[in-house]
Amino acid sequence: MSAAAYTPEELMAIVISREVRDGETTAVGTLSPIPTAGVLLAREQHAPHGTFFFYKSDYQREVWWPFRHGSKEFYDFAQQGRLDLFFVSAAQIDQFGNINLNVIGSPTQPTVRLPGGAGTPMLWTMVRRVIVFKTDHSPRAFVPHVDFITCPGLPPTGTRRAGGLSKIVTPMAVLRWNREQQQIELESVTPGYTAAEVQAQTGFQLVSPAQFTQTPAPTDEELHTLRTSVHQHLSHIYPQFAAAPSHTPPGSVRY
Amino acid sequence: MPVRGLLGSDYLKIRPDFKVLQDPFTGDDVVVVPPITPDVALIHALKGDSAGNLLVDRIEDDHLLAQASRRVIATVEELVPLVGGSGGPALQETTDGLFVSGVYITALVHAPHGAYPAGCRGLYEHDPTHIRRYMEAARTTTGFQDYLETYVLKNTSKRSAISCQRSAKAGG
Repeated sequence: MSAAAYTPEELMAIVISREVRDGETTAVGTLSPIPTAGVLLAREQHAPHGTFFFYKSDYQREVWWPFRHGSKEFYDFAQQGRLDLFFVSAAQIDQFGNINLNVIGSPTQPTVRLPGGAGTPMLWTMVRRVIVFKTDHSPRAFVPHVDFITCPGLPPTGTRRAGGLSKIVTPMAVLRWNREQQQIELESVTPGYTAAEVQAQTGFQLVSPAQFTQTPAPTDEELHTLRTSVHQHLSHIYPQFAAAPSHTPPGSVRY
Repeated sequence: MPVRGLLGSDYLKIRPDFKVLQDPFTGDDVVVVPPITPDVALIHALKGDSAGNLLVDRIEDDHLLAQASRRVIATVEELVPLVGGSGGPALQETTDGLFVSGVYITALVHAPHGAYPAGCRGLYEHDPTHIRRYMEAARTTTGFQDYLETYVLKNTSKRSAISCQRSAKAGG
């Protein structure tokens, strides 16, 4: 354990790193600096034998983006069920484990039109575990019903699938998708927050908040590795993110 | 074309052209989507010759786009001599460069730095400052016109367009 200060982004990266398993095949998509940091940290710590892909990385491309037949080759790779772990963000997440990357408001008359799902609706189904990362934990994002189902928490019977939603990581908490019960549960709360605060920022009832734990704080070793060798790699893949000044520690942030 | 996933999403509500079939091999439900056939594709290549043969960035999907589209206009960083009918030595594939036959290409334009302010892998990076300038200019019609005048319309003299003397790709 550590009493060291850390940023919400560092905490999320460290939480994500603990979800990476050694020997597995993990891919990180575009615009995902926090999962990239988390996966690189896992690789340096407990998952040295994993296979890692960082979407179209020019840096160390021979290893980290070995696909030479367009992004089609990567999507074909994923459609074959070869990926164990992938990360997506979302504009909205609901109590049924659905996520929305398409539109806010009506699909025909949206108030906000978002970039869309790209390959996510396929990856969501064909990757064994998908982790949703969300840097703002608010009722605006955690809604009772998403405006558009880009990826369903529960695909219909008869759908060929390898996995789907596993967990949701935010600066405040780790939420877990219970596939059998089809509900989102509070798994753990970031040190400095209470379950009631997490619930207040979530627009639907989280299940079993009595059984939640506290997210283990980042250890000195995790923070050190994240800030040294991981940061060095990250500065090549996400130079602007890596160069950004330290963010506010989570204890002083209220969403 | 079959695509895994998608089932249970709202794409099936807004895209009546996405159909659900039973996979005859496994019995699973599977979404099939119609192929996209663009009327025109614009692609930027590392090299090209006057027969329209190209060397494109193999990380991207330009080859697929060229195959799919009825007409393809290629801009190229470097115009190389035409040797034979299927790409001379200058169009030899490399680690980064994938050969695309001129049979897919309708017209070719020699446009060094043609991807700017986006990047061209291996040659130059994207220019975030210029992209921000464009985004700001594009907020208004006059800003957009000014941008076109300054950065696009005044910079055409060095470019030469080559028609590849082929009819548009058949189909559709």
